[in-house]
Amino acid sequence: MKLATLLALPASLAATVLASASDTYSEHLHLKPLPNGALYAGFNFTASTPLTAYESQHFRFFPRSLGQILQFTHTSELHLRFALGRWDEESWGNRPRNGRREGGTGVELWAWLEAQDQKEAEERWSGLVNSLSGLFCASLNFIDQTKTITPILSFAPEGTLDPEQANLHLMHGMLPHEVVCTENLTPLLKLLPCKGKAGVSSLLDGHKVFDASWQTMAIDVRPVCKGQECELEIDQTVDMVLDVERSMRPRDNPIPRPPPVEDVICDEAKGYNAHDTCYPKRREGEMEWGLSRIFGRPVQGSCPAGSRENAVDIVVEIPQERIVDAVPEDALDTVSTTDSQRSYRLKEGQELDLRLPHQILDQAQEHRQTLLHAHRQMTGYGQERGGMHIVITNPHPHSQRVVYLESLPWFLRPYMHTLAISGATIENMYYTPAIDRQKGTQLEILLEVPASSTVEMTYEFEKAILRYTEYPPDANRGFDIPPAIVRILPSNASSDDQGSYLRTTSLLLPLPTPDFSMPYNVIILTSTVIALGFGSIFNLLIRRFVLVEEAPKSPLAVMIQNLVKKVKGAKSDKKVEAAKDSSSASILKDTPNGEVRQRA
Amino acid sequence: MEVKDGEAEATKAAAELSPEKPATIWARRLIIAAFWLVVVCLGLPHWIWTTSIQRSDLPLDSMNAWAEGKACQLHYPLHIGLTAPDLDPEHATSFASDLEALLNGHQSFRLHHFHVQTEHSSNDTPGPKQVLNVVLNTASAPKTPQATLQSWGPILNADHQVGRPEDLKQVATFLASQISNIFEDESAALWHLIKDTPFANGVQPLALSPEKSSALDRRMTRAFKYAPAYHLTFSMFTPGAAPSAWDIDKALEEYISPLLRPLSSISDFTIDTQVQLFASFSPSIAGPAFNAEKNHWTLHYGDLTGFVNAAEWPLSPSIGEGPTINFVLYVPSQEKKPLLIDENDGSSWIIPQWGGVQIHNAPSAQPHNLTLDDLRPDMLIFADQLAGLLGVPPSPPSLSLRMSSLTRERATGLILSASSTLGALSRLTLKLTSIAIPDSVAKSVDETLHRLDQACTNLRDGHFQLALENARIAETEVEKAFFEPSMVGQVYFPEEHKVAVYVPLLGPMAVPLIMSGIKELKKLRERKQKAA
Repeated sequence: MKLATLLALPASLAATVLASASDTYSEHLHLKPLPNGALYAGFNFTASTPLTAYESQHFRFFPRSLGQILQFTHTSELHLRFALGRWDEESWGNRPRNGRREGGTGVELWAWLEAQDQKEAEERWSGLVNSLSGLFCASLNFIDQTKTITPILSFAPEGTLDPEQANLHLMHGMLPHEVVCTENLTPLLKLLPCKGKAGVSSLLDGHKVFDASWQTMAIDVRPVCKGQECELEIDQTVDMVLDVERSMRPRDNPIPRPPPVEDVICDEAKGYNAHDTCYPKRREGEMEWGLSRIFGRPVQGSCPAGSRENAVDIVVEIPQERIVDAVPEDALDTVSTTDSQRSYRLKEGQELDLRLPHQILDQAQEHRQTLLHAHRQMTGYGQERGGMHIVITNPHPHSQRVVYLESLPWFLRPYMHTLAISGATIENMYYTPAIDRQKGTQLEILLEVPASSTVEMTYEFEKAILRYTEYPPDANRGFDIPPAIVRILPSNASSDDQGSYLRTTSLLLPLPTPDFSMPYNVIILTSTVIALGFGSIFNLLIRRFVLVEEAPKSPLAVMIQNLVKKVKGAKSDKKVEAAKDSSSASILKDTPNGEVRQRA
Repeated sequence: MEVKDGEAEATKAAAELSPEKPATIWARRLIIAAFWLVVVCLGLPHWIWTTSIQRSDLPLDSMNAWAEGKACQLHYPLHIGLTAPDLDPEHATSFASDLEALLNGHQSFRLHHFHVQTEHSSNDTPGPKQVLNVVLNTASAPKTPQATLQSWGPILNADHQVGRPEDLKQVATFLASQISNIFEDESAALWHLIKDTPFANGVQPLALSPEKSSALDRRMTRAFKYAPAYHLTFSMFTPGAAPSAWDIDKALEEYISPLLRPLSSISDFTIDTQVQLFASFSPSIAGPAFNAEKNHWTLHYGDLTGFVNAAEWPLSPSIGEGPTINFVLYVPSQEKKPLLIDENDGSSWIIPQWGGVQIHNAPSAQPHNLTLDDLRPDMLIFADQLAGLLGVPPSPPSLSLRMSSLTRERATGLILSASSTLGALSRLTLKLTSIAIPDSVAKSVDETLHRLDQACTNLRDGHFQLALENARIAETEVEKAFFEPSMVGQVYFPEEHKVAVYVPLLGPMAVPLIMSGIKELKKLRERKQKAA
């Protein structure tokens, strides 16, 4: 027995060394100034665990809370998105990470689940959304079957999963109404090994993240197999675009105020009528900013989890001639000459701050043009019908294959015969009609968008009338329609099989709303009508009709008459007493009551 | 004077009215009767039918019998096997009956009943499993009598010299005292369980010393409620970045699994582990303070309750059925080492019904990885805490006897709690007359009663494992019945709401109907009086 353990010890040690070697963690921050005083900050945290450790529930850098949910619901690959705001593609250019790490406004979730049949998959999906709802403090549990779709062309697994496998089920749900806030960021930080206390995650502060012009948080879990060795990778991403001026306002005085007149530089090139007017001059050159001024604090040293060899923590993408002061200075690792990137390394327990002064550059930074533009609006008027108008623009001199996915709630009923697409050829179309209160519409169109052209898509729809209890408390606000997802398929030449994504904005659909006090009105009105009808008919049937003179006085009337008389009598008696009192006090009083005077 | 005038006027007017024709009077009566007929024969049954709530019949009598402890007299027959290779069968049988009489006469056993069987007699009838095997060795025994309990199996080895046959009496007394020592604690624990319940009626009370009673209380409150499955979570917390790995897989294999294997006959266990870096204390506690005298960092007794930072440490319960038992290994930072409890210099404590905490104060420098050797003392403490949290009795020394003891305690506890839930359910249905009782509740109650009966019979027959199985099912069924969601929902629709709906609708119709009815009845009576 002892010998066996002794023999087993080196083997087990070797095994643990191997296991801990594949437990990896890395983090990364990408900074890039954008035009009009905006700054893009992309945080990325990647942790992985060997699949064997995951299956025996030994968690190290992979979060236990999420891992258990995935195991319990047999989820093979998970993608969760929280998003807020809109990426301004006209001025900011191409989307970060090709749009793969962003979601539609609100919450978006899709996952590949292992299940024997559709029913089991739906049960597990419901378990997954409910558990995630608790973990991330979001109303994910509202993703029920009416909001769940199974896209066919729009998503491909990122990990080494075979989507053709019969027991893998893809489920997708969106909640455009969900407001993303700090309570969603805190659980995300808790999943990190350094919990926002060290490393680049120490910059993530709810006040700053949710003050951003555009912000998206993503969690992606996927199995990655390299030969025989499989591991589960979790990729957490927080991308945002901050308004530099807004972020740098002092915390104790956050209300923006106009600068004093003396500080305003007037644009002399413009014509003036009088001396007291001034057109402020547009700011020239690059804005001054610093890490600690934008995020409220410097980076709190490195996160020592995982292997720190060759680790690059912060990459700043700025032109070569831009000045950057790093505190401390030795943090600068490499300066890449080709793509104007500078990388910085963090040291354990040592703060790092970057400061960029105001500077006028000879030529502004170029931004890559976005692959595609997509806009969607609602048309029409009235409470019964409406229409959808989608415009997809391809600014490039080559044609692109695009998948357009629309997931509509059941109360918006599209008329498919009115679907008209101009300017593109439809290669394929998948359409699942809605079933009232059970399933939403799913529309997936594979389009070939020609070079430098605009595609217009329109269809009409009908608005359903909901039941009384199906309206939310703020029914008159309207109903959010989830964003449409556009996937630009990779060209055949490229090896990447994901393509890039973009999402339209979500829409607000006004539905006919009833008067919510209606049931009570109905009860009262019906009661009145019944009482009127029944009462009069019943009385007509049983009463005896006589002349007014003949009718006996009702006993109630007689009683009231008597009562009035009694009260009158009592009053006069009192007055008599009062008169007596006053006379005894030898004060003469003129009482108006003649009768009383007489009696006295 | 005027009042009288008014009355006179009224009578005068009435007198002027000509009496009605009998035909009109009859027509009116018929009309009113017809309306009332419709209301009573059509309206009322229809209303009752549409607003009635389904109330299945519950076997209230048997439910109350269980709640009052009349349905089952708790009784634990313990079968003890006697192996005495040196005694001839005759002597052995008489010795066994002597031992049995001595044990049953012992005053610390109120609920137990002992059956001692020799190997010769037990061969004929395959009775219930023996809880204890006594191997009596008389041939080559040392002078002083001694008895040793095997640490794993339920075997008591006794050595006693027997010169003459009369010595057997002495041996019996010796063995009886040994055996009663083994089962004394269990007897006390069982009595402690039932003493405040109706099941104690008819059982001669067992006097427990206050210390023993409070020790049993502590043991019972510390232990988790029985569940068919438990999740064990082993977490390592450290305020810094190291250590970030531990050889937990090996450590669990070596120290926790041997304990779980025998326990798996009672419950299922799943294990998960995690490592959490940068774990800070909650601001509600003072935190460690340096004690210069003792040259170590100290935690105050009062801080122990807030030591686990529930808001920030990810110790959420595992998903799936069954409670989670947490084991926290806290590795203090290099500069705040060693960290001990101020009052007793200990480094581990149990949080009742939640888990255990252990502070890892290894003297060596902060390693990156905690090896099996580093974890050994911690794992031993965790194993001890796990036994305590699961309610495993601390004595006797043999693990298998402790397990069988636990089986009996758990079965008893489940029967008691299921019976009291049955009583609560029966009181609830009697008190709240407006709640619905769906068929599923009646079914669950029937199943519970059946299982409880089975469990009781099993207990009396000495099939304790079966009794536990049945009691477990009874408990889950009765919980299911008690927390039936459709019953809970009814509580939120009080009678006042009905009044608010009925009054505006029925009031305007009911008033003329009732008034005309009363009027007509009055007139009828007047006429009869006149006629008479």
